[in-house]
Amino acid sequence: MCDIIWCKKDFEGKPCNTINYLDPYCFWNWEGTINCAECGAVYYIHMIQGKMYRGPEDRPGEKPDTSPLYADKPLEGYRFYGAGIPDRTRPFECLPRHIYLGVPDMVKFSIRNRPVRGWRPQAPDGGIAGSYQFNWDLKRLSPDVYEEYQQKIKNGEVTEW
Amino acid sequence: MAKDPRETRIEDLPGPKSKEELEEMKMPYEEYCKAQFDPGNEFSKPQSLKGIRWLSTTMYIFTPHSVSNLAELGADVIKVEMPRMGDPMRHCAPFNETYLYPLHDSRPMTGTGMGYLNANPNEYHITMDYHLPEMKEAFYSLVKMSDGLTECYRPGTFDRWNQSFRFLQEMNPRFIYVWGGGFGYGPKCFGGSYDILGQAHAGLASVTGMHEYMGGHPLKHSNWCIDWYSGTQITFGILAAIHWRRKTGLGTMIEFSQVQAATRCLGYAAPLYGRFGIVRQRWGNWDTQLCAHGIILCGKSDFPDAENPQDRLEARYAMVSAFQDEDWKELCAITGMKDLMDKYKSNNERAEGEAQIEIYAALEKWAEDKSRGEVCKTLQDAGLLAEPVCNDREYYEDEHWRMRGTVRWMDDPIFGDILQHGTYASGLLSKTPRRLFWIWRPVGADNVKIYHELLGYPTKTIEEWYEKAWL
Repeated sequence: MCDIIWCKKDFEGKPCNTINYLDPYCFWNWEGTINCAECGAVYYIHMIQGKMYRGPEDRPGEKPDTSPLYADKPLEGYRFYGAGIPDRTRPFECLPRHIYLGVPDMVKFSIRNRPVRGWRPQAPDGGIAGSYQFNWDLKRLSPDVYEEYQQKIKNGEVTEW
Repeated sequence: MAKDPRETRIEDLPGPKSKEELEEMKMPYEEYCKAQFDPGNEFSKPQSLKGIRWLSTTMYIFTPHSVSNLAELGADVIKVEMPRMGDPMRHCAPFNETYLYPLHDSRPMTGTGMGYLNANPNEYHITMDYHLPEMKEAFYSLVKMSDGLTECYRPGTFDRWNQSFRFLQEMNPRFIYVWGGGFGYGPKCFGGSYDILGQAHAGLASVTGMHEYMGGHPLKHSNWCIDWYSGTQITFGILAAIHWRRKTGLGTMIEFSQVQAATRCLGYAAPLYGRFGIVRQRWGNWDTQLCAHGIILCGKSDFPDAENPQDRLEARYAMVSAFQDEDWKELCAITGMKDLMDKYKSNNERAEGEAQIEIYAALEKWAEDKSRGEVCKTLQDAGLLAEPVCNDREYYEDEHWRMRGTVRWMDDPIFGDILQHGTYASGLLSKTPRRLFWIWRPVGADNVKIYHELLGYPTKTIEEWYEKAWL
């Protein structure tokens, strides 16, 4: 649940029609100016406890104090502005980890460089009615990882903690 | 030695011969505890629940955890999952990249999410579509040779499938039956539950988080703490039922509403309402009874150059406690809050809402140019209670927990190197400690072990059932 600024200014010959989301963690009690993520129009708002007390009022020419976190254009399908686009949206400070791959990351070693197992693709058949053995024999089932592990041991990269 | 070998003399017995000697021979308490609990050596000790066999037709965290407590204490637990799919928790967060494989040989590209961790350790995982009439015989056979079952379906579902307490009790009068779910019998009996629902509907979320005029909202805990909490509550019920059965020889039905359980954490909320008509409010990181006794924001992170934003930006919170008058004076002397010391002399005055707002604002102002570590060290050096709000990594790296064995690495037979904190953090038992054999097993991994080795069905039948997706 959050308030929005639906910008309907003319922009490049047609209505801007961008919804700028006023995320409550930032705007719950907030007064100042904010830009539209698409056309850059500046609006003044004053929110008290999540309610729009004043605004949005046009403030052309002013420098915006902040930007929306996220904006989209629902009338144009799935066009949107995600977080952290310079001069359009605010960076997302919800702290994803520093390495973000966005794709499955089949790690083969834990942070102390010992092999983890059970990665994809798995062994094609687990036995009768899917019964797996109690042990994933690394040497037999994943010889390449086993070799890499031996190398890590030799290099002294395998630690206790 | 006494002349008559039947005579026992104190001086002939091993051990100290006098009170002084006894005192001398006593090892320091620290050493004693180390020897008693001996982290890392749990597997050489007996298991208190060895011999108990439990069935678990549970899902997600709440009811599975009630059984995993038993499994960690030595019970044989058979987790029954739906064929091909398994527990829905396997398909939950967090994110594909942390999936552990294998799930099941019929789904080679799907794994189990890490959310499943800690909720089903040490259990045998079998599959069974137990509502089918064809599988009733196998299900009832398991019931006859088990001590109890935990289930989490909507109230009455197992009754409709002829496998509720009143049916199973006839087959096995010693059977302990647990139903765990949302609301339990009553007008809301068909309401399901999740942790967030329990936290919200029980009134717990309404007192968590800052007050609305400080920009706060009712908050749920980020993790599913009411799932873990209610599950553990069920385990207490099970242990009591086992004890009762030793006395009477009879089983019990335990009916456990997760929503109801969460109200237990609310402490004095209901009595307060009953007496004064006051509805408890949120007070966030502060305390309604004590001040100063809360979490404050410091100006600088302890790890300003860290790569990980959780360290770089978040390591800025400290818990500060100085509610006794002496401590309060000390705190004011250190932080330069002389005016506040004169203004709020007693804890009763300090615990007032307006006073707390002023006090914590002043504390945060004092901490504005300090790191979390500096704040804690300054206060600790003055004999006050102050600790940093740590994240998981700091917990992992803390020598204290490593020494106690509450965080440790284990080599899981299937999944390899796993960092573990669940089992061993749940209290230490000197004689019969909890232990972790494996974190969980793939869907149906123990079908042969249970159906063939325990129940005696031929493997051909098992394969046939498997083909029909009954297993």
